[in-house]
Amino acid sequence: MAEVMIPIGPQHPALKEPVNFRVYADGERIVRLELDLSYNHRGIEKAAEQRNFIRVLPLLERVCGICSHAHATVFAKGIEEIMGLEIPRRAQYIRTIVAELERMHSHLLWLGVAAHEIGFNTLFMWTWRDREAVLDTLEEMTGNRVHYNMNEIGGTRLDLTPAQLEAAVKRLPALEDRIAQYVDMVSNQETMLLRFRGVGKMSREEALKYGVVGPTARASGIDYDVRRDDPYLVYDEIPWKVVTDSGGDVFGRTRVRIGELSQSLQMVRYCIENLPAGPVRADTPKAAPKGEVLSRYEAPRGELAHFIRTNGTDMVERVDIRTPTLANWTSVAMCLVNQNLADIPVIVAAIDPCLSCTSRITVVDTISGKEGSIPWGELGRRCRARHGGGPLS
Amino acid sequence: MTDLFLLAVYIFLFPGFLFLLAAALFFQYLDRKIAARMQHRVGPPLLQPLADLIKVLGKEVITPDGVDISAFDFAPLLALASAMTAFLYIPVIGPSPLAFSGDLVLVLYLLVLPTLILFVMGWLSRNIFACMGGLRTVTQLFIYEVPFFLVMLSPAIMAGSWSVSAIVSWQQARPWLLVLQPIGFVIALIALQAKLERTPFDIPEAETEIVAGPWTEMTGHRLAIMELSFDVSLVTGSALIVALFMGGPDLPWIIPSPWLAGLAGFLVFFGKVLFILFILASIKVATGRIRLDQLNDYGWKYIAGAAILQVAIVLVMNASQVPP
Amino acid sequence: MSVIREMLQNLLSKPFTIRYPAEKAPVPASFRGKVSIDDDRCIGCGKCSTVCPAQCIAMADNPREVTFRDKTMKRRKKPQVKLFKCIRCGLCERHCPADAIQVKPVLSETGTDREVVLT
Repeated sequence: MAEVMIPIGPQHPALKEPVNFRVYADGERIVRLELDLSYNHRGIEKAAEQRNFIRVLPLLERVCGICSHAHATVFAKGIEEIMGLEIPRRAQYIRTIVAELERMHSHLLWLGVAAHEIGFNTLFMWTWRDREAVLDTLEEMTGNRVHYNMNEIGGTRLDLTPAQLEAAVKRLPALEDRIAQYVDMVSNQETMLLRFRGVGKMSREEALKYGVVGPTARASGIDYDVRRDDPYLVYDEIPWKVVTDSGGDVFGRTRVRIGELSQSLQMVRYCIENLPAGPVRADTPKAAPKGEVLSRYEAPRGELAHFIRTNGTDMVERVDIRTPTLANWTSVAMCLVNQNLADIPVIVAAIDPCLSCTSRITVVDTISGKEGSIPWGELGRRCRARHGGGPLS
Repeated sequence: MTDLFLLAVYIFLFPGFLFLLAAALFFQYLDRKIAARMQHRVGPPLLQPLADLIKVLGKEVITPDGVDISAFDFAPLLALASAMTAFLYIPVIGPSPLAFSGDLVLVLYLLVLPTLILFVMGWLSRNIFACMGGLRTVTQLFIYEVPFFLVMLSPAIMAGSWSVSAIVSWQQARPWLLVLQPIGFVIALIALQAKLERTPFDIPEAETEIVAGPWTEMTGHRLAIMELSFDVSLVTGSALIVALFMGGPDLPWIIPSPWLAGLAGFLVFFGKVLFILFILASIKVATGRIRLDQLNDYGWKYIAGAAILQVAIVLVMNASQVPP
Repeated sequence: MSVIREMLQNLLSKPFTIRYPAEKAPVPASFRGKVSIDDDRCIGCGKCSTVCPAQCIAMADNPREVTFRDKTMKRRKKPQVKLFKCIRCGLCERHCPADAIQVKPVLSETGTDREVVLT
């Protein structure tokens, strides 16, 4: 068969969110891939410029459903850094507890989705059933299963009561048991091994070249985790380990995520048992001084970065969100070449894509009314033209 | 005349058309219920498959541009007819009245037709996903059909007849062929799972890879009839395995009254088919989908190899006249 | 093997599903469900309206005498909440000085009128 173009997306059962892969395949082997993101662009960065610090946090939370706390926390911590604000210890611990619970629910969700992509719906049902325990805990603590709205500038919106903490701790042993079973299942289940091992292999050099982040990078042996290497909240105080794997394939990424599940569970337990007393909010000024900050956070999918520029008012002048999925997309396009058509959903699912997070960029020409994206070379050319050919001043 | 009347009852009422329809829906219910309970879910109520069938029959029929409508409409009916006809030759309450020497070959041939027609539907659909799905169906057909035929061949060799009813009667006085040919039984189950395109062999329909494969452009009554034909294939395939390996409806005792014997035989037969269904449902729940190239590897190396081994064993046993 | 063992265990036990409406999922105390405004307590300061991220709270004329921090005062306005626009974030409750507007841990009612307003 000659090269045939198979459209995966923008609507496709393999995709949870719209993205357009134009796959050029020769039989079952992929020759080339063209990627088009931006179907989920909602103008959040612009909308954030018009909301003050109280109102902007729920907006930024809604960049993504699964890593909502990540976006709210990284923004709050960035503004607090510009303001020079120290938030109370109890608030930091509470933020960490919610952050790690969020990581747990995200990884359990991912495990189910990865199993579903290979048709192993049983594991999908089981992991999502166990995820309910984490979501119940989050609902008791924050009031909602996703979009917790736990953060404010200066601390957290709510305190955690002893009853909530006790209920949370009670759920942990059963979850620990289940996670151990999943480790066992993933390492021994024949069809999972067949579909995951050796698929989408990325060496350490390639991973560094494509700029991947998060569990995708750690599975290729890159020992980097923002929680340890640029610590925030209480990660430099509580005992935990960075999980890496040397496989570089989808199986390695599975092992990294399940390892992180265990680590997060230990962290939640430690934080609950060692929760310091005290207030959960600090007094905050209304406006932030002029400044710029690059605030980083280890979201479940990788390194999330918010670049925030303030101008002395109680609104930001610019917030630029670089999500981990955006960094990981190139690796998908490169890994898929010469792989089997049947491996597309597996490799795409392996980076844990979140397109609501990714779609931050679209280009609209207001004169001609055209929309689209700008290729890298063209972007360079335009920047040079604008800045007179020299290095950006 | 009574003969003709009884034959008509056999073909259209029981265990033919109507019973088969009810059995297909009931088996779909059981399959989904068992799978759901194993996954810690509730599962559908008893009449769900019937409700689904009626609903899909009433849905809007969308025909893509340039598709051959008469072929598109006729093909699913052919698939359903062949799957149903195959069932008539399998002993349900006793030897089939339509039995003749060589009806095993006819049954196997008729069971191939639904898969071929699925490929044809995919090819006719003028849709890249359907086309790829159709190609996968046919590739998978080549891989499992050889072992399937071979392991159906071994009971025939051992029993010395090409008629399903004769093979069933041959097992009356002897241990089941399940015991005498265990490899054949296992391979038959695996190959049947592949024929019915159920996980781990649901490669042609791979929802997350090629939307719905050959099923993509099938809507309304075409989808309903085609799905029904695969449901009937499940019943027919399981019944065939029961007949060839588990002695069909025969009991170890002889019951004097013919009606009671027939009823008891039917209940025994039904129980055995439910056992096969349970195994098939468990396989479906316990595995994920494998890739076509991996199926190619495993299929030709292990499954076909084991099937050939089984046939060789039977030939050796026959030749050395070891009486089973 | 552990997969098969678990499959059979699940087959013989009760499903995990909560069979709504015969069984109901528990609603925790911090759940943000039904918006309610306590007429006795609201002082009409408008803080809820200012902090609402969805801008779904409008202040409408509603004069009344209320007691706030042991002082009686005449309030002039009272909030009106567009229930379909409300995202149940709880910021109004968090910033209300009088504990008047609350997002109670009770499941909200449903309705079909998109413009329904709570006063």
